Order: sequence, then structure tokens, then C-alpha cells
Amino acid sequence: MIPQLLILSLLIFIMAKQMPGDPFTGLITPESDANRIEELREEAGFYDPWYVQYANWIIGVAQGDFGKSYTYKVPVADLIGERAMNTLWLSLLSVVLLYLIAIPLGVLAGRYQDTLVDKSIVLYSFVSYAIPTFVLGLIFLFLFGYQLGWFPTAGTVDIKYEESTKAYIWSKIYHMLLPAITYAVLGTTGVIQYLRSEIIDSKSMDYVRTARSKGIPIRKVYSKHIFRNSLLPIAAFFGFTITGLLGGSIFIESIFGYPGMGQLFMQSISSRDYSVITALVLLFGFLTLLGSLLSDIIMSIVDPRIRID
Amino acid sequence: MSKKLWTMLVLLIAPMLVLGACTGNDDSSGPADLTKFPLVVDNEGEAIEGGTLKVALGTDTPFQGIFSWVLYEDSYDADIMGYASNVIFETDGEFLVNDQGIASLEVDQANNKAIVKIREGIKWSDGQALKIEDLIQPYLIIGHPDYEGVRYDGDFQNIIGAVDYHNGKADTISGLKKVDDTTLEISFTKLSPAIFSIGDGLWGYAEPSHIMKGIPVGKLLESDAVRKNPVTLGAFKFDKIVPGESIQFARNEHYWKGAAKLDGVIVKVVPTSSIAKAIETGKYDMTAGSLPATTYPEVRDFENITILAQPELSYSYLGFKLGKYDTTTGISTMDPQAKMADVKLRQAMGYALDIEQVNEVYYYGLRSRANSLIPPVFESYYDETLEGYTYNVDKANEILDEAGYVDTDGDDLRETPKGEKLEIKMASMAGDPIAEEMTTFYMQNWADVGLNVVLSTGRLIEFNSYYDKVQSDDPEIDIFMAAWSTGTNPSPAGLYGKESAFNFSRYTTPKLDELIAAIDSKKAFDIDYRANAFHEWQLYMEKNAPVIPTQFRTAIYTINDRVKHYDVNLETDFDLNQIELTAEEPIK
Repeated sequence: MIPQLLILSLLIFIMAKQMPGDPFTGLITPESDANRIEELREEAGFYDPWYVQYANWIIGVAQGDFGKSYTYKVPVADLIGERAMNTLWLSLLSVVLLYLIAIPLGVLAGRYQDTLVDKSIVLYSFVSYAIPTFVLGLIFLFLFGYQLGWFPTAGTVDIKYEESTKAYIWSKIYHMLLPAITYAVLGTTGVIQYLRSEIIDSKSMDYVRTARSKGIPIRKVYSKHIFRNSLLPIAAFFGFTITGLLGGSIFIESIFGYPGMGQLFMQSISSRDYSVITALVLLFGFLTLLGSLLSDIIMSIVDPRIRID
Repeated sequence: MSKKLWTMLVLLIAPMLVLGACTGNDDSSGPADLTKFPLVVDNEGEAIEGGTLKVALGTDTPFQGIFSWVLYEDSYDADIMGYASNVIFETDGEFLVNDQGIASLEVDQANNKAIVKIREGIKWSDGQALKIEDLIQPYLIIGHPDYEGVRYDGDFQNIIGAVDYHNGKADTISGLKKVDDTTLEISFTKLSPAIFSIGDGLWGYAEPSHIMKGIPVGKLLESDAVRKNPVTLGAFKFDKIVPGESIQFARNEHYWKGAAKLDGVIVKVVPTSSIAKAIETGKYDMTAGSLPATTYPEVRDFENITILAQPELSYSYLGFKLGKYDTTTGISTMDPQAKMADVKLRQAMGYALDIEQVNEVYYYGLRSRANSLIPPVFESYYDETLEGYTYNVDKANEILDEAGYVDTDGDDLRETPKGEKLEIKMASMAGDPIAEEMTTFYMQNWADVGLNVVLSTGRLIEFNSYYDKVQSDDPEIDIFMAAWSTGTNPSPAGLYGKESAFNFSRYTTPKLDELIAAIDSKKAFDIDYRANAFHEWQLYMEKNAPVIPTQFRTAIYTINDRVKHYDVNLETDFDLNQIELTAEEPIK
């Protein structure tokens, strides 16, 4: 994993520096002094050769120091930590809701294949797959947030509550609900489709026939035999799902004004906040590698046929 | 078509219809009548006791949360600090310091000194008295060797002793002298009329020295005194901050003009995609800062608000690349071989642009054709008699014909007087939702008079690379469209001088430098002389057209009907402590 990360860090560092402009480009106004901006660039070391800059940075990273955000003027680790917590809770709620919606629907569709129920579920999954996130996000926000007033419309918490009281925690969850529902409604397609086709395949498998011929009630066949086997492809991705929780969604976060990782990533790129960009890409890279490892481990647990030698 | 397919289609189209409905209200198009917008609003109704003003901060990114006038960089932080300001001077309609504020300013021209006097009995929001040390404190922060901000600039170095202090040769700035408990004397290397608009290095805000003194300058940015509980002189004080999202202000009981009538103010980030909806549904009373002009058609029919308008301190312009800036010597030199070197060609390009129609169609009259590089707000400096480059195709054609730009090969496009093909490369910035349409329209305007204008790089350019390319005099750019905000001191020295890095057209002549120097000269302390110098400079720029001003802008503000009185006029002494509300919640 270490060599992959090293190569990734080198690539992202060079590419970030190749982008036109730098964190100080945005400071140009008639009142700002061009000489002062040059001076700041020099102090930040932007005129050193790239390998010197890279060496300085990677030595810092090895010691756990990711530098300071040029935009927010705080240590990168603190900044990412703050946003990561927001994103983590939101994604967790989203994923829970997603499985709550998708698993029953997938099972129903597979079990009652080719009935009206199945067709409506398949239609729903295709429509939700086709709707862009920002479209449904805006519709939900306008309808449930503004028109009906059921949900808060921006932010992660209401400012009037004292930190770590019950009301404060509830307010946090309340703020997460609408974005999480939007995410869950849109993300179900993969799970539904996998579950459905696995169940349909399993129906004609020998072990199901055996079970049926032994006289096991059909309900039990579905809940005990078929369901567990059909979850395999979902389990295969579960490692990625867990580590993906930190990635965040640019669209959801922007529309619902929810300060998270997706938004931070986007903003750091457009403001050329190098230290944040490189730290985030490194983090995402690490999580992806970790995700594939986790998935392998999970598979070996749920499917005894697979063993890591 | 089978029945099934129809159901599918209906399901697919339904969301689109909903979307279409969201952007409705377009039937009453047409330009806004600028005279319709008031500067002041008075709403009927009995004022309630206290109440909380709800303010929307329209941005798609969290605010940075650096609440210090010496350190902040993001304009959203400045919008927020407006409610709890540490400003010590007040200015009149032309942004010149008057004696209505906490401090008054006296200028000793002969000795290059400014004498700042503060009122007695002024208190910080924590109850501490305002001292002269609090006026000196911001200078000591900005000049400090550990200070990382942009404000240690050429102007600041104009204060005597600032450079020595910055280089660590002195413990303090020798040009700052506390005369007595209410008087500060500042010595400068040189003075210009800019001092009256708080320029030349004069600083307009106080910092609480009883708190700041104890914090090393290098640690200020992370300190609670900046991030969590800044102390202020303004009508409100910071009560609670949710980083990046919202701020709760409480009334400052020690406010020198009298405690505010409101209990407090809440400022909250609202994504730009839903800000109009938030205003319509009465979630907020107003926005911090103005609304973008492109939002106007969305909000104009709302019945729960009044729209106020105010001229902006900025102008858009069309610039021509006429030379190069040498970064080592810091001097611009003109290139006589530049494609746009012929003044006739530049003038014709100005006449060919139908800015009037763009203003009407895309900006609903919230922008107007600019005739000068000085916004009209600066009444004594702005020359209203200038004709400017108004839309006139015949004139454009005539000038081009005269100058020898004629079509010799029959492709309806003009060749250079030497008979070579003429292709003008234009840089245009991406970002504004209508940037693409507008650019295409302008290119069509030029095609109409036979000029072949193409986009540099073939498409609109992202913000960072746009400035990178324009600033480095990229050969791919012949002309560019941009805008400047002038700030409160419209002196052109920083934007059009020979040694100015921001003189993006790189146009420079001895005469121009002379005209600019006159504006900031000693003689210009005489207001008539300065006004005259400004007029001469504007006329010179119009005649030589190194840049052609295109638009003046108007900023709009929406005020909810429960706000009893609000005023965006720069000349009146309306203050935040006077705001009253007539209902518990904003009106829907």
C-alpha cells in the first residue's frame, strides 16, 4: 500500500502545481499591492524547484503535518477533521436509509418477478438512476424545505442550541434527514438490481429445490436460504461503501449548504488550496486501497469458499 | 405507441414540468425601471419590542470565519463583520472622512502628518474603554515580521518606521506617536489626497489592544479573539458562531450611538441555488451584501419584500493588449507592432458593441452603458459630459474604412491595412451564468462590422487561468473583458500607471503618467484641482482607448416587509442600531 500511496502523492503534487494560478490569485484587487503578493508567494516557497517543494511536503506528511490551508488559515488536519465528522454522520445516515429502502425493494422485486410490484420497483430504480442529483435535491429542498417547511433548509445545526445537549443532537440529525433521504432515494439502483437478479438466479438453484422438496415453507426458504446468498455481491462492495462514507457528495452538500468533504474538495481545487487538495487526494486514495482490503476480508467471512492464502 | 411506453414518458416528463415551474415568472420580462428602485424603505406597522433580524449570506462555500479587519481575506467575512464593526471613521457620500465617527482626522500637509482624535467615553463590547493604544495596535500587527496578510503593502510602508519594524530593526513603528489620551499622530513619507479616503497607509479600524497584546502575531489567526469571541465597537457583538455556517449576534449594550433596538441578528449561509426561494418564503429579512443582478428576475415579483438599489463602486471594461510588463524591472513597455496598436481599430471595436441591448436583455437594466472609468458615485470626479462609446455600427464601419481595414478577399471580413488576415483573439472568463451567451453576442457584434474575433483557447477560461494569462501577457490574448472594483478611492495610480502590475493593457505614455501623477499630487489637496485632474485623465483615456469602459453596475438588496425602516443611501447617517421589526417572524 505504501508504494501506491507514494506514487499517488507524487502525481497529485505535480498535477496540483501544474494548474494555472495559485492561492494568491484570488487576492488581486486594485487595492492589493502586486509586490506584496509576490512577496507572499516567495515566502510560501512557490518559486522553489518542484522537488524541493515536494520533499518539504512529504517530510511533513510523514510526520503527520499536512501543512496549513491557504484559504482557511488553519492546519489542514483540523479542517479535514471538522468536515469529515459532518460528512461521516451524513453518509452513515444516508447508507442506513439506502439499505432500508433498497433491500426490501430488491427482495420483493426478485421474489415476485414479472408482477406489477416487480415492474414498478424496476421502473422506480431506473427513474431514480436517471434523475441527476441536483435536480431531485432542489425539488426536495423547495418542496419539503421551503414550501411545506418540514425540514431545515441549510447548515448542520440550529445555532440556538447549546452544544452536546439533547436538543442539539436532535437538531443535527434533523438537519441531516432531508439530504440523507435525497441521497438514499437516488442511490438504490445498484443494490436493488443486484439483489433482484441474484434472487431470480437462486430460485432455480439446486439447493433451493432441495429445500423446497424437504417441505420448508417458502417464506423460510427466502429469508434463510436465498436472502443470505443473494447478499454476496452487496457484501463484495461493502468495504468500499464503508470507506466511501468519507468522500461526501459535492451536489448534495452544495444544495443543502452542508459543509462536508465534497464541498471542501471542490472549493480547494477552485481556490488552489494546494495543501488541502493534496491531503484530500491522499486520503481518498488511502481509503480506496483500504476499501478493497476490507471488501476482501468481508468476502472471506461471509463466503467460506473464498480464503485469503 | 403502446400504453406502457406512454406511462414511462409521463413519468419521465413530470419532473421536468416541475422544474420548468420553478423558473417561471418570466412572462413579465423587460428591463427594470431604475427610477423605480428606492434607496430607502419604510414599512407600516407598530414596531415590536426587540426581535431578531435574520440575514442570509448567499454563498456555496462555508465562510472562512476570520473576524479581524487586519487579517480577513474573504469578502463574506467582511459582510459578517459589518454587524460588529471596529471602524473608527465615518465617511460622506464620496467616501471622504467626516467628523461624525468615533475618530476625526486632521491632516498637516506641510509636515506629512495625520492627527487622529478619538471621542471620549467610547467602550468596547466587553466594557473596556477605547484607548489610543487600540488605534496603534492594528499597525503593529500589519507591520509585524510574522504577519502573513496582504495589507503590508506599498501604502503601509509609507508610514515612517514601518519598514524598520517589519525587518525587525525596531520594536515599534516610529511614525506613530501617542500625543495624549485621545490623540494619535502619524507621520508619513509623503501624503496625497487619498489620505481623506483612508488611503496612503492610514488604517480605518481599531483593534482591542487589551486582548491582542497578549497574543503573538503568528498565532492570531488561530486565536479565539479572532475566531470565536472577537470584541467589537459596533452595534452588535458576536454571541455564538457555528464555524462556516451561522453566527448569532447580540445587542452591544456599550455601543456609542446607543444600544440597538433589536435583541440580535442571525446570519446564516444559504446556497445561491435556493436564495430566491428563501427570500420568497420569508426565511430571512435580507441578504448580507447585495444580490447578483442575474437573480433579479427571480425576486422581482415577490410580494413580501421591497427591492432597494444602490450604484456599485465598479465598472466592466474591454481591454486591449498593447505591450508587455517586465516582471524584473516592474515596468510596462508598449509594443508598436501589437495587433491592437491602432487606436482607430480600438475605437471602432467600442462603437460596434451593442452593450445597451445586453444590459436590457441580460441584466434587466441593472447595468448601464459606462462612459467613463470613474463610477458616477464619485460625483466631483466623474465626468458626465464624456460621450463614451455608444452603439453605432455606421460609425464603426466608417472608422475602419478610413483606417484602411477593408475586405480585400471578399470573405466579408476585413483585412489589415497591409492586406493580411486579421484575427483578434479574445479572452473571456467563465463563471457568470450568462458569460457564454454574452461573449457570443459580442463576437457577433464585431462580425457585423467585419471583424473576425475568436476566443483565445477556443472557449471561456476558468477564473484562475484567466488572470494568469491576462497578467502574464499571454500572446494568445489580444483583447479581454474584465471588471474592476474601484474601492472608495478611485485614483487610477494602481491600475493604469507605468509601474503598475495591474495595468493589464500595458498601455503607457509619459502624458498618461503625468495625468495620473497630478491626481495624487500635493496640489490635488485642492478639491477643484483634483476634480479637474480626474476629468483630464478620463478624457485622455477615452480618446486613446487602451481600455473601453462598458458597464456601470447597480447592486440590489431585498428587504422583508417586517423591517420598519432600512436605508442603503451612502449619504444618510442610518445605522444598524435603528433597525426595528414589526412582526415576530419575517413575512411570507
